[in-house]
Amino acid sequence: MLTSAHMMALTPVILVCATAVTVMLGIAWRRQHAATALVSILGLNLALVSLYLVYSAGDVSTPLLVFDRLSMLGMVLVLASTLACLTMSHAYLEGYPGRKEEFYLLMLCAAAGGMVLVASQHLATLFFGLELLSMPLYGMLAYTYRDKRSLESGIKYLVLSAAATAFLLFGMALLYSQSGRLDIAGLLAGLESSGGGAWALAGAGLMLVGLGFKLSIVPFHLWTPDVYQGGPGPAATFLATASKAAVFIVLLRIVMVAPAFHVEWLHTVLGGLALLTMIVGNLLALIQTNLKRLLGYSSIAHFGYLLVALVVADGLAVETAGIYLITYLMTTLGAFGVVTLLSSPYSGEDASALHHYRGLFWRRPYLAAVLTVCLLSLAGIPFTAGFIGKFYIVALGVEAGRWWLVGGIIAGSVIGLYYYLRVMVTLYLVEPGMRGRDAPDNWGMKAGGVVVLGLALLVIAFGVYPTPVIDWMSVLTSPVH
Amino acid sequence: MEQNATAIIAEHWAIGVFIVAVIALCAFMIGVSSLLGGRSQGRSKSLPFESGIVGAGSARQRFSVKFYMVAMLFVIFDIEAVFLFAWSVSVKEVGWAGFWGAAIFIFILLAGLVYDSRVGALEWAPKSRNPARKSGS
Repeated sequence: MLTSAHMMALTPVILVCATAVTVMLGIAWRRQHAATALVSILGLNLALVSLYLVYSAGDVSTPLLVFDRLSMLGMVLVLASTLACLTMSHAYLEGYPGRKEEFYLLMLCAAAGGMVLVASQHLATLFFGLELLSMPLYGMLAYTYRDKRSLESGIKYLVLSAAATAFLLFGMALLYSQSGRLDIAGLLAGLESSGGGAWALAGAGLMLVGLGFKLSIVPFHLWTPDVYQGGPGPAATFLATASKAAVFIVLLRIVMVAPAFHVEWLHTVLGGLALLTMIVGNLLALIQTNLKRLLGYSSIAHFGYLLVALVVADGLAVETAGIYLITYLMTTLGAFGVVTLLSSPYSGEDASALHHYRGLFWRRPYLAAVLTVCLLSLAGIPFTAGFIGKFYIVALGVEAGRWWLVGGIIAGSVIGLYYYLRVMVTLYLVEPGMRGRDAPDNWGMKAGGVVVLGLALLVIAFGVYPTPVIDWMSVLTSPVH
Repeated sequence: MEQNATAIIAEHWAIGVFIVAVIALCAFMIGVSSLLGGRSQGRSKSLPFESGIVGAGSARQRFSVKFYMVAMLFVIFDIEAVFLFAWSVSVKEVGWAGFWGAAIFIFILLAGLVYDSRVGALEWAPKSRNPARKSGS
């Protein structure tokens, strides 16, 4: 039965859903781009504030959802990334000739899905959250459908994601047939008592395929570069940040909660996937001439690093994963934000080919500086946030004695440095008379520009003085007894 | 073994009768109408009938998207009505909490319906093309 404590804990999710309904009715009443964006941002901010209240009220658990510290962390990450994406989409959609307002509706629905996903402790809510997160993304990726690449990316994601969902569902069905339970804790306990067996193994493997697709772990990564390249800037940003963070948190919850997952073969499989993901992601990024594709491959590699936390899965693993996710989100939002700003207001395909960025420094010094900081952070250079994240991951790997993975991280970082530096060199080359796409002159005054500048400052601040975030993270991720 | 077979027959003879009856009914309908019915000749008369869609030809056909739109909206609202059935059989048990839950559910559905009608998803005939096309929407 729902009590007031449950309602209280559900407030953030309810607020986001209510905002979506409000936005929908608002569109039906009158199409107002600025007002729609404002209402969406207001609703998300309210949800963030209510999240703080929920956090101070303590843990609440329902049969389907659990509101503990890990889900709070996940919700904060999802909401903050959605806010950044929404702000950037306002600048982006200004120039879009079609209907602008539905983009916000889709993004709010996806955010609600992400929040349900990070709080799920039952296969029903896991599936529901994952689908609510993915369905609006099809629409968002194909939003500028007169552009062929956007349409292509939307349809590609739709088809491949549906296939991955089929894997996930089949895996769930197999696990259910073995354990007779659908809540994750009970299911894994049931598996343990029945000793697993081949069907349970197949079920766990199939679920791993489904979730691995969303995280673009290497054998299931093929969609990533095409979808990132084709999708409109804000949609690709959302896909790379909020969506991936939510799926990773739920995977983290499954692996951490379940003693059944602490078996050697699973760690070996995850470790192999992590190593493969790091190396392949970084190697393929080397040959890209398109910044969005390059960022796509780099995000594949980064999730390879993040998987190390799942492989180790004890000690500081959750804290490490949280810190790495935060640094990844800040940096990726900044980098994609610059791409989005350069393509705003919308006028055809996004400016993502590298030659658009040639000599950017001489035209837009601050924007080039932001991109430089983000790329340095992605490469993991000290005094940026990326260094702190990578430091934690390496420390975790060394502590657990996973030398292959540590070697993979180091090799991946070296390869990564090369292609990040290649982009940076392009930014500072003298422009040979060729003008690429450009941001509007007053970009720094607009909300999107402020967000991007703020993100760059955060990246540096966190790199120089990480203590507050680390403290916050150790509070958030310390288990409650 | 024999008893087993008898038991199975006793349990399933109705299904056997049903299958035979279905085949007999189909054969009867086709046979009688081919004997008694009139015949007409025409260019498209020998094509199979598939819900009004020509069953053979190029795969590169253009459909009006309206068909799918209406089908999708129908499925969505239909499925949501199914959820309300679950409420209707348990109205007394779930009490006011269930009532408010259902009320919110119906309100969201209604909001969706208002939105659909306002964006023109329910209009069968396309609007006059010129203003919409020129603004690019």
